[in-house]
Amino acid sequence: MKRKDIYLTVVSLLVFTVFLIYAHFRFDAYKLRILNLCAIYTVLGLSMNLINGFTGLFSLGHAGFMAIGAYTTALLTLPVATKAQNFFLKPIIEPLSNIVLPFFPSLLIGGLLTAFIGFLIGAPALRLKGDYLAIATLGFAEIIRIVIINAQRVTNGALGLKGIPATTNLWWSFGVAIFTIIFMLLLINSSYGRAFKAIREDEIAAESMGISLFRHKVLSFTIGSFFAGIGGGLLGNLLGTIDPALFKFTLTFNILLIIVLGGIGSITGTVISAFIVTIAGEVLRFLDQSINLGFVVIPGITGMRMVVFSLMLMLVVLFYSHGLMGTNEFNWDRMFDKLSAKKLLAKRRD
Amino acid sequence: MKKISLILALIMIFTIFLTACAKPAEEEEIIKIGVFEPITGANAGGGALEVEGIKLANKLYPEALGKKVELVIVDNKSDKVEAASAVARLIEKEKVVAIIGSWGSSLSMAAGDIVNNAGVPTVGASCTNPLVTLSNDYYFRVCFIDPFQGTVMANYAYNKLGARKAAIVQEVSNDYSVGLAKFFVDAFTELTGDDNCIVATSNYNTGDLDFTAQLTNIQASNPDVIFAPGNFTESALLISQAKQLGIDVPMIGGDTWETPEFIDIGKDAVEGAVFSTFFATEQPITNESKVFLDEYRKEFDKEPAAVTALGYDAYILILDAIERAGSIEHDAVRDEIAKTKDFEGSAGFVTLDENGDAVKDAVIKVVKDGKFTYMDTVKPIQ
Repeated sequence: MKRKDIYLTVVSLLVFTVFLIYAHFRFDAYKLRILNLCAIYTVLGLSMNLINGFTGLFSLGHAGFMAIGAYTTALLTLPVATKAQNFFLKPIIEPLSNIVLPFFPSLLIGGLLTAFIGFLIGAPALRLKGDYLAIATLGFAEIIRIVIINAQRVTNGALGLKGIPATTNLWWSFGVAIFTIIFMLLLINSSYGRAFKAIREDEIAAESMGISLFRHKVLSFTIGSFFAGIGGGLLGNLLGTIDPALFKFTLTFNILLIIVLGGIGSITGTVISAFIVTIAGEVLRFLDQSINLGFVVIPGITGMRMVVFSLMLMLVVLFYSHGLMGTNEFNWDRMFDKLSAKKLLAKRRD
Repeated sequence: MKKISLILALIMIFTIFLTACAKPAEEEEIIKIGVFEPITGANAGGGALEVEGIKLANKLYPEALGKKVELVIVDNKSDKVEAASAVARLIEKEKVVAIIGSWGSSLSMAAGDIVNNAGVPTVGASCTNPLVTLSNDYYFRVCFIDPFQGTVMANYAYNKLGARKAAIVQEVSNDYSVGLAKFFVDAFTELTGDDNCIVATSNYNTGDLDFTAQLTNIQASNPDVIFAPGNFTESALLISQAKQLGIDVPMIGGDTWETPEFIDIGKDAVEGAVFSTFFATEQPITNESKVFLDEYRKEFDKEPAAVTALGYDAYILILDAIERAGSIEHDAVRDEIAKTKDFEGSAGFVTLDENGDAVKDAVIKVVKDGKFTYMDTVKPIQ
């Protein structure tokens, strides 16, 4: 990195922090919630992109990993009285009922536990390739959900948990998101990251260059699960309530949508599309309501939003078949080049 | 490329234009009531039924305090994350006076903290899980809760059927089913005074088609009655498979059975199946029931579902509270809702207890000649 780039990055981070401070005090609860969701989806998208985009492992187990992270964090942060209230069907098991930890250690334990379970699942499942791996990981995610439903004394089963302290705020969500972005950047540009990419491009070539396929695949999968767990924990403590139905396959699909839209194998793309997908879903809500054009009132059709949203996705996929960013990353030089190119063009026209 | 970006830019400008136009000029004159319901996604069917009732009520009673009442309906996609955002939007962006919703207790719970923090009174129509209103001063509901429904069916089994041994089949992935089963067990154990009165408990998952294993297990334990609350499709299949296996004990359940599909799938096998529900169309409980039934039949030319009546009740309850409060201040409306006593709703008289739960009659229905037929009304325990 050149010195100029470092300055620019630091300055933009500072500007962004100022924006966050402004948002924290001035934005209403609705806007704050959407911003938080943007950051959380960034974390989740990046963790899935590491596995699917950079290492080329087609894994669909994300909802399961998020469930582990969310449940662990929630159970560790729930106050004792709320726990007793929640578990009115069957009492919660002994030591868990009295353990209450602050948010950060709970989140960390949630992430580590998810990483451990990701490791246990990944070690055998990563022998599979392509579609088979997708089916296996999807199956494991469902197994996690079914276990949560049936382990009533630990997770409260289908009833879910309520009254989880709403600790997640802009500092937590964006702090974790920025940490994740920096971590991923460093990882991707390290020797491990290059090995991941080599595996993605050609496994046989990578192996003949001396890269241990198994070790690197499991490593990528475990790191991915860790951040999925962290993202799940943040989400649970943002919503204040979780239940197994939240972690169905559709949740994995949402995150897959983000990374496909942004570009499989691009950190910048994932960040941009996490924001676009989350904000567009809310902005398009006006389509569900009746629209007054002054001279004519169009009655609202509820559900129209999803139709338009899907159409927009189709357009993007048709015209940008590699996602918004492809495998490119944001780069100050390129941005200045583009800007100056436009100026040059404009000058030439004059 | 240029063309595409031009078109995209035009679309964006157009959208901004539309959003700007969407806001009516004279906002002060309108009372906004927010509705968040699953309109798309897995629970869309239930959400649509409730919205039907709310819209009908809005058509019949379009004014409060001399101002027009406008419904702001937002979709929560049957998803917790969306439900929370939808409610936050209703409160912050639409500045609604009160909120109705949502079908599905878990979706309602996702909204719980938000309405409580913002202090916006919210009335649920058919969310029966006790946790929804628990330690939440701003959440109310017009339906009875699962503990009461479980007790009603336990009493029915004990008194009317003379049952002393019961078996439970529960849909373990469904919070409603597990909750109901638990309260049935508690009430039945207390009635019989016998800790071993539940002779078998079996679980199944949403979407299961074959229940032979569970039923064989139950058959061996020889119960007097089988309590099987759960989703209508699975329950109907369960009952017909039980009949095929030669299990001839009464099957009883909860309000989710009351759908046309239950009879379509179960056919002759579900004859005699008994369940508790919120109201009966052939037995109008109040004057409001008559108004509701007439208008509904006129408008839709079919019989209303119970949740439609509850959606209707949620709306008129809020409207009544606004009238009594004489203002649209959140806290004034909330206090009036909390004071609700013997309120005449279409699905019976509503009295709200200290948790904000409705204390009201339950109706017991039976499937007779391929129709849901009124059997009995059960008074709440005082």
